[in-house]
Amino acid sequence: MPEVKSMFREVLPKQGQLSVEDVPTMVLCKPKLLPLKSVTLEKLEKMQQDAQEIIKQQELALKEQQPQPPERAE
Amino acid sequence: MEVRVSMEPLFLAWSSCRRRRFQRCADICSQLLSESPCDQAAWSLKTRALTEMVYIDEVEVDQEGIADMMLDESSIAQVARPGTSLRLPGTSQGSAPTPAVRPMTQSGRPITGFVRPSTLSGRPETMEQAIRTPRTARPVTSASGRFVRLGTASMLTNPDGPFINLSRLNLAKYAKRPNLSKTLFEYIFHLENDVKNALDLAALATEQAQFKDWWWKVQLGKCYYRLGLHREAEKQFRSALTHQEFVDTYLYLAKVYQRLDQPITALNVFKQGLDHFPAEVTLLTGIARIHEEMNNMTSATEYYKEVLKQDNTHVEAIACIGSNHFYSDQPEIALRFYRRLLQMGVFNCQLYNNLGLCCFYAQQYDMTLSSFERALALVSSDEEQADIWYNLGHIAVGIGDLTLAYQCFKLALAFNNNHGEAYNNLAVLELRKGRIEQAKAFLQTAASLSPHMYEPHFNFAMLSDKVGDLQSSYMAAQKSEDAFPEHVDTQQILKNLRQHFSTL
Repeated sequence: MPEVKSMFREVLPKQGQLSVEDVPTMVLCKPKLLPLKSVTLEKLEKMQQDAQEIIKQQELALKEQQPQPPERAE
Repeated sequence: MEVRVSMEPLFLAWSSCRRRRFQRCADICSQLLSESPCDQAAWSLKTRALTEMVYIDEVEVDQEGIADMMLDESSIAQVARPGTSLRLPGTSQGSAPTPAVRPMTQSGRPITGFVRPSTLSGRPETMEQAIRTPRTARPVTSASGRFVRLGTASMLTNPDGPFINLSRLNLAKYAKRPNLSKTLFEYIFHLENDVKNALDLAALATEQAQFKDWWWKVQLGKCYYRLGLHREAEKQFRSALTHQEFVDTYLYLAKVYQRLDQPITALNVFKQGLDHFPAEVTLLTGIARIHEEMNNMTSATEYYKEVLKQDNTHVEAIACIGSNHFYSDQPEIALRFYRRLLQMGVFNCQLYNNLGLCCFYAQQYDMTLSSFERALALVSSDEEQADIWYNLGHIAVGIGDLTLAYQCFKLALAFNNNHGEAYNNLAVLELRKGRIEQAKAFLQTAASLSPHMYEPHFNFAMLSDKVGDLQSSYMAAQKSEDAFPEHVDTQQILKNLRQHFSTL
């Protein structure tokens, strides 16, 4: 501004960029989109689960057939 | 007297098999066989029905056991050239998302939008890591635990023992009868998982067919693949292709090359296949998957888009493009892809979780929490529940409710105590409360649980730097640099520390 007379000459940098100091902060892990499952994978998991169920049931049945043999030994 | 009019039993069995009521079909066939044990039609039908019950598309199945991964002899070079190996995902050029925006899996790949059996576990670097990788109740050492388990399970369901006693079978006799041998082979291969016997049968049968039947060659290739004889498998598939061009054969062949860690050759195979079967969806998907595994997201997305042009209901393509948009800062476009999946009838907790996240980051706050509520209502395992609470924690951080965030991350840990990300985020929250020791402990846990993530290492470096423990800070920063070499803040810390040390 030509009218204003000031004691100090203003400094307007013609070169360089405005810089803001970047303070490093702690980082959070990012949100995780969950991947969808393929049909094959779902079938595999289902079969595995079913198989485990069956095994569990058979083990239970076995246990009922043999009611604690070690106690009888005592 | 009541006269019961019923269908011819064999026809009924056929009909149930066609309607995919395999148990019923098998039951009827068993009855027929108990009346006339030599009924070949019933026998063959029963084998088919039993096989169908446990049938899995062999193209999709690819599970490397730990032994396969660690004692692998097929690699030619320890350090592959950039862009030629699936095992060094960091070597791709450009276009790869940084871990600063897209979380990584243990193998160092960005997380994908879709899991296939083969993407379940990344290739671990060390034995220790290999053992620690979460595997659901599968034996650690067996080459393919899942196959073994399925085989035993099918036997357990039969109280009278297996339907066919393989050890008593005269394979040579069956190999001469093409009408029985194919069903028998599939039975042995899929249900019994007895690859050795299956291989014997296939070898005899292909001899019977004067080495001219492509089907038997493909089956031989499958057996060799399962036995880990990849070069033999390759030969069989190539030979089968000379007899008959077939999409499946190309897929199997590409699978062999992927296992041999030759993604470029696999891509060539897919392209040859595309010459014979232009715009075939499965081939295009295969190409896209390889690009994705090599961290080349732009090409992968292009191919997935190509897939969608042919088949606009392809779940895998939609999910992958959606997740790619989400992690390239376009959640509103990702939201459209996931909404499309919802319209198509996909209805599970993963989808609702993704919808919730997309809604939140696309500033559609009204839908966010209801999506997450649905996701929580649909969970089937503790791991899924943990992941959903973890994401909810992010929403809470986003709206500034740190108490809720704290509780969410705690819940995530309650459901899955090995959730490294949740530990890291919890540590950050603890530090805000000024509890340095607690934060430190959480960060150390996170770093040991998932050493592939850079965040816990970096945070630990920052924290140690602040409290003046420069040595630990330096070590943690180095680990962070290993996980994410381009991270500017890590570089800064390392530079400062080096200056410090040199002045001492």
